[in-house]
Amino acid sequence: MDPQNELVDALQAIPWFQELSDEHFQKICAITHLVRVDKDTTIFAEGEQDENLYIVLEGRVAIEIYSPVRGRIRIFTAEPLDVVGWSSVTPVVRQRTASARAVLDSRLAAIDGLALRQLCDDDCELGYKIMRRIANVVAARLMVTRLQLLDVFGHPEKD
Amino acid sequence: MANARLDIGAKVAIKKPQLNILIAFLQDSGYLTIGPRVRDNAVTYAPIDTLEDLPRGYDSEQERAHYRLIRADHQRYFDAAPGSDSWKKFLFPPRSRLFEACRENGRWRTNLPAEQVPQYAFIGVRPCDLAAIRVQDHVFMRQDFVDPIYKARREKILILAVSCTHPNSTCFCTSMGTGPKATSGFDLSLTELEDVFLVEVGSEAGSGALQSLELDHATAYRLQLAETALQKAERSIQRRIENIEAVPELLHNNLEHPLWDEVGSHCLSCTNCTQVCPTCFCWDVEDLDDLSGDKTRRERIWDSCFNPSYSYIAGGNTRPTTKSRYRQWLTHKVSTWINQFGESGCVGCGRCITWCPAKIDITADIKKFQEATA
Amino acid sequence: MKPSIPVPAAAHQEDYLLSPYWAEITEIVPETDDTTTFWLELTDKELRDSYKFAAGQFNMLYLPGYGEAALSISSDPERPERIGHTIRFVGNVTHAIRRLRVGQTLGLRGPFGTAWPIAAYQGSDVAIAAGGIGLAPLRPVIYHIINHRQDYGNVTILYGARTPSDLLYTSEYAEWEENDIRVMVTVDRADESWQGQVGVVPMLFYRCRFDDQKTVVFSCGPEIMMRFVVFEGLARRISTDRIYLSLERNMKCGQGFCGHCQYGPYFICKDGPVYRFDQLEPYFNLEDL
Repeated sequence: MDPQNELVDALQAIPWFQELSDEHFQKICAITHLVRVDKDTTIFAEGEQDENLYIVLEGRVAIEIYSPVRGRIRIFTAEPLDVVGWSSVTPVVRQRTASARAVLDSRLAAIDGLALRQLCDDDCELGYKIMRRIANVVAARLMVTRLQLLDVFGHPEKD
Repeated sequence: MANARLDIGAKVAIKKPQLNILIAFLQDSGYLTIGPRVRDNAVTYAPIDTLEDLPRGYDSEQERAHYRLIRADHQRYFDAAPGSDSWKKFLFPPRSRLFEACRENGRWRTNLPAEQVPQYAFIGVRPCDLAAIRVQDHVFMRQDFVDPIYKARREKILILAVSCTHPNSTCFCTSMGTGPKATSGFDLSLTELEDVFLVEVGSEAGSGALQSLELDHATAYRLQLAETALQKAERSIQRRIENIEAVPELLHNNLEHPLWDEVGSHCLSCTNCTQVCPTCFCWDVEDLDDLSGDKTRRERIWDSCFNPSYSYIAGGNTRPTTKSRYRQWLTHKVSTWINQFGESGCVGCGRCITWCPAKIDITADIKKFQEATA
Repeated sequence: MKPSIPVPAAAHQEDYLLSPYWAEITEIVPETDDTTTFWLELTDKELRDSYKFAAGQFNMLYLPGYGEAALSISSDPERPERIGHTIRFVGNVTHAIRRLRVGQTLGLRGPFGTAWPIAAYQGSDVAIAAGGIGLAPLRPVIYHIINHRQDYGNVTILYGARTPSDLLYTSEYAEWEENDIRVMVTVDRADESWQGQVGVVPMLFYRCRFDDQKTVVFSCGPEIMMRFVVFEGLARRISTDRIYLSLERNMKCGQGFCGHCQYGPYFICKDGPVYRFDQLEPYFNLEDL
């Protein structure tokens, strides 16, 4: 299948994209490309300046943070339709704060973050939709993080 | 010469010394006669043999965190209102053995205690305490499970109730519909007048107990005196819970009300109230072994929802604050007890008010909630 | 019509459900570092033949000299002659049980409590959302579903634990999947040797689809986790009378009259531990109840 068709098909399968107008869909399509990664390949590493926003289409991607004694710790895995690298839309820190590594052979849609931010500035209507979606992604991620933080399975004190 | 058998509901009068004959008859029939007596400056329930053992001529002065037994200028036997004791310690003993287990040849075996269950005759049960026995009956003897310890004692009991002609100031039986007159649940019921006891027969057993006594008539005059005395008693009760039917739902719907912080802040979590309450039924288990490790026994002991370990689960305590435990006690007693057993757990005896060292008054706290949510 | 929570009658109508029967340990299966399944058989043959339990119920297991612990039954209700308890070692009694060996005896009182009303949901889709040791009281439901697979629609297990080494019953997942049960597993955190998901159980709800009219949710785990599972269920428009939780409180008698396990108006040992969520709604978010 030619790459452009493959890209369009892939994006059209994502529910959020189905709600966009044709024009908005085309604008995002134009700044997106498909990426294939083999199992165990790093997609981006901590400290890098990767600016892409990724949507997992197939496979599984782990978010990892490295610590000297404990090694690489997996703090989250993204499944198909999950977003990875949402911080490229909210660039507070200029580098990636965690690594993304494929756990299984995966296929992702990579959206150019810089271009996306420019799109949002130019087309506020589209920008609002994108930000709202990103806010939902971050909110869901925060809920997961909070529950992990609470360590609900932590071993209770012995009496 | 034995009297003709009296019907249930029949009323007679007996001169006061006749009560001695009644007690003796009960003892001859195998009953352990328990009644009020003075010990350590308070009225307690203990074995009695004759009228002389009763707290004749006493009154009790009770208020928040205040109990005094005082010598009055009357000669009545049953005026002094109950102290911290209630009849629950006989039916639901503070400590009972559940079973023993011993290990022989590596195998454990259980032995159930073959105990001698005493046959009690309760002499002088106030109407509030009668109601409390009925409330505990519904807790310990239910359709799905019957506690054998309670049942073994309960089925043997003979109850001689005494209607209350001199309630004290912490009583609020009228609000709970439990007094001051004993209306049911007794074998015999007395109302004390100056010269006689008026006796109402409540059961066959009660009728039988009167057989060898010299009976007088319950004349219209005597009945009138009793009626007047009870009406006066009813009017003398100062403490009230208004609108009691709405209280369960009121508390249930206000479990997060900020008032709990206020009322709970006085509580010391000392468990006095639960010990003196005649309906409280919570208990804990204790496992006791000997040094060999081959013999152990499990006992049941009174517990209290105010004890910190009461709500402990692995990892912590689900009611870590006094305030939460106070809320549990109050809402259980007058609200959720009704969901569980179909009636209120409170009988208005006032003991918790008298014996709380922090001067907490259940009627006042309920009133605070009623006012705060009006 | 809301199915009521079934409370199966006790296997034996003795006066004295306060003293235990005796059961022999026939097999000990370590599951994780701090959790082991003990398989028991009642020593008295008549009792062994008459003992029955329903999914979700628990026994009070008694270790002479140490006391009792309320432990969920985690085995197949259709094979009640072998009673399995998956026990996490968290206190005096459970640590003492840990030292026992095959052939030794334990006291047993039970079964107590309400059951998962799985039989009332024939034809429904089932979501079993469990965390940590919470999978233990739900495993009997899984056995039941496997024994009657054609009676149920889509069945999904959403299970999470702290780390991969804390997951229970991992050797059984393949068999469950062979029985057309989707098994979704996640852990709070892992190292790079873990190929599965990292996240929390409520998050798994985002990764599958539920028919809100047909699905019933059974959940057991830490209360915080159950609270979020309820959020996710309600967000997917599953009604409050199709979400069931299993609660835990201090238990001593197991029969609703020592008072310890009270939660609002409920005795968790008697009206629970399994509750329909609408029964819990007025109380679930109250602190220190």
